[in-house]
Amino acid sequence: MFLIPRPLFLVVVGSLVVSFHAASEEPRTKDPEPGTGPFRPEPGKFPPFEKAHAYRGELVFVDHVNRRGSLRVAGGSEVFFQHNPQPFAMLPYGIVRYHGAPADLRNIPLGTLLHVRAFLPPDPKNSAVPVVEKPSVEQPAENHVLLLEDEPSHCLREGMIWKLKEVDLHRNETKIIATLEPKAGGNGKPAEQTLTLDDGTRIWRGRECLAPADLVADGTWPTEGKKSLGGQSVQLGLGWLPAGTWENRVENQFHITDLWMDGTAMQRCASRQTGLHASFIRTRLMPAWVDAVEYGQFGRATVTATLFGGMDASLYADFKKGEQGVMAAAENTLKPWSSIVSSSHIASKGSILDVMREDAEPPFGSSGIQIRFETDLIIEGIRPGRIVRVRPASWPHVAAPREEYLIDHRTGLDDRFPTPAIFPRY
Amino acid sequence: MNLCLVSRSVFLVLTFACTLVVPARAADEPGNKTKEQGTRAAEPFRPEPGKFPPLDKAHAYRGELVFVDHANRRGSLRVQGSGVFRRNDPNPFALLPYGMVRYHGAPADLRDIPLGTVMHVLAFLPPDPKTSPVPVLPVNSKEIDASHYRGVGIFPAENHVLLLEDEPSHCQRLGLIWKLHTVEVKEQEGMITSTRMPKQGGNPKPSVETMTFDASTRFWRGREVLNLDDLTAEGTWPTAGKKALGDQTVLLGITWKPTPEGVFTRFHVSDLWFDDASIQRAGKIQAETHKAFIRSRWMPAWVDSVEYGKFGRATVTATLFGGMDESLYADFKKDVPAMMNAAENTLKHAGGHYGPAQLASNGSLTGVTRAAADLLSGGSGIQIRFETDLIIEGLRPGRVVRLRPANWPLVEPPREEYLGFYFSAEDRFPKPDIFPPKRDPY
Repeated sequence: MFLIPRPLFLVVVGSLVVSFHAASEEPRTKDPEPGTGPFRPEPGKFPPFEKAHAYRGELVFVDHVNRRGSLRVAGGSEVFFQHNPQPFAMLPYGIVRYHGAPADLRNIPLGTLLHVRAFLPPDPKNSAVPVVEKPSVEQPAENHVLLLEDEPSHCLREGMIWKLKEVDLHRNETKIIATLEPKAGGNGKPAEQTLTLDDGTRIWRGRECLAPADLVADGTWPTEGKKSLGGQSVQLGLGWLPAGTWENRVENQFHITDLWMDGTAMQRCASRQTGLHASFIRTRLMPAWVDAVEYGQFGRATVTATLFGGMDASLYADFKKGEQGVMAAAENTLKPWSSIVSSSHIASKGSILDVMREDAEPPFGSSGIQIRFETDLIIEGIRPGRIVRVRPASWPHVAAPREEYLIDHRTGLDDRFPTPAIFPRY
Repeated sequence: MNLCLVSRSVFLVLTFACTLVVPARAADEPGNKTKEQGTRAAEPFRPEPGKFPPLDKAHAYRGELVFVDHANRRGSLRVQGSGVFRRNDPNPFALLPYGMVRYHGAPADLRDIPLGTVMHVLAFLPPDPKTSPVPVLPVNSKEIDASHYRGVGIFPAENHVLLLEDEPSHCQRLGLIWKLHTVEVKEQEGMITSTRMPKQGGNPKPSVETMTFDASTRFWRGREVLNLDDLTAEGTWPTAGKKALGDQTVLLGITWKPTPEGVFTRFHVSDLWFDDASIQRAGKIQAETHKAFIRSRWMPAWVDSVEYGKFGRATVTATLFGGMDESLYADFKKDVPAMMNAAENTLKHAGGHYGPAQLASNGSLTGVTRAAADLLSGGSGIQIRFETDLIIEGLRPGRVVRLRPANWPLVEPPREEYLGFYFSAEDRFPKPDIFPPKRDPY
């Protein structure tokens, strides 16, 4: 149960795979040791994952077109409800995962508890979110995110599993006692955690979507009172509901929004999310950054670009030597420059001369895949260090919605570099 | 097939059948037979303070949910017009204090609606343009051609919303169903042709609509959630090619995704419910989620009158807002201890250092009266009388308040959902600045 489906995690397919294996097998993706110092990514380099600050919080606000939002960060004080939402911005190569699959910010329901790996703003002057000058546990200065993932994605990547010890059903409040443990077992006794659930909790079993009442009806759970669950292995989706007051504190108690009872159920949700995101990327183009440009004559050039990581393998497989394609300039928000027709309309057309895959494990954020793209329309936006979006010819020629692209002189500086002004001060 | 019967528990606004005039099914209520999308009220209507606006004055339209600021009960919709859908700038909207959201046929909050969902809207002009939290547009804005193949109707000035509902909620409320005519599958995606029509028949010229689906579309059947592979594996739908579906009745969840350039507007099926059981189960989960939400945020209402006593004592008469699950209203009983807190038009609580529960006025319910109420009137038809010894400025006639009967959990809402001890005018009356300006022409 809960073996990570390879297709969801492989970044590249075929025999030349440079993979992003199931993270449970990846020492690189283990949590960094506490006390890792703040790290500011450098332009043109994927930052080392182990230098990222790890925390988690509830998703409170999303501005998906600018790839930013706010999280209520857990930890620190006991009164979670009083923690001000903390703005964050995705790094251009930042990865979002939901239900164990690639995702976009728009796919994550508000209220979801997310795990974060983040850095200081690479360029504080152009930060799309406020730069934190007096950081604390609830207000980390590391608000530029390399990885944002929900609980099941986190557990699958880390090779962890929730074990249910006991359910205690009451009319007004149901609680579950569970432990989070390495799937492969390990030493020590993990701490028991108390989580709430209610009749809005979705329970996934094979192809079924059940409610707690269904488990009561089939005798799996008692009508009322406690029952030992014997360490049943599951995956949990977590959120937060108000609990406690200033006087009556319940610390950071989280709420079960989803419970996957078996691997099949988890894989089906992951498969759906994978399809959703693959369709999203095919219509918005693959993000990448430009490593080098070899200039020719009369506007001709060969661009070497690294595709960003974290996508479904099938998307990378569409980048083939000899394939035609288009490349559009984009911003750090991944918004492409476009025309009134579509981003492909003013994008530079050309062909993919080569597709190179690193033998070594790529840094997090990178796919490990470089393409060489020849065009006869090299433009200002396609310079080393700049973000671009690339479409192989096999992807549909469609146009993004209005808020997701920039257009000629009508684009203001605020459109290219969103200011933090939209975030309220508390 | 007995599809899409509206769940009583979800739609009843009031409890106790002996005292109520309640719709047996919302779709049967004359007042609920509201206009379809694109229908325009004869004249733009501006709601008056202290009165629930007449439903027949609302402007009806639909659009894709693009942005949500749930803490301030506002967001943006890409409104469907007659032109190229993708070119339409998102049009900001704000929920009226008594505005309702419905999802999967059940009460909801804005935070429950996934971005990208196509929503049906009934809306009015801003009641008070000076303090509108979204941009105020010319009153005839919906009649103006937005140019560049976008057509008319995409920027309605009626951006203060009484009802925001997703497709299955809309169909259930109006007694509509979708009939599937054909499906065509090609490489893990495809198209269906279908018609939305009254469940009881009678639409003389229903128009056939073509929509896409793909590997991420969820097909709900009883307790099962299926994907396209499941349907093709069992032979219900073809692996490739076209098949007639014989007018199978279903409900659809609708979103939008980019279409090829030549296609102006074509929607996408995110969910398909094959039977009653499946949509009722979805509605039940949503209803429970919203009940937990309201119990922790308290019931919104507005103050009808205040009878002042001595030494801070007063009796407040307030009307509970509508659209909630009936079990929530049932908790308001005579002689039950309760709390009442001042709130804003955004439904944000007034708060202090320690949260709203610390600041609210304690008291008891000295009376509960129930009258007939249309689901879409904005009000529940329930008036309560609340006696307190701590009458405060925020509990004045016309003001919005939130109420908690004593059997609801005493918890504090999160920080962004109440005004802190130090707050500014902007915290009370959010400015429209959060929304990017429209840049002519697109």
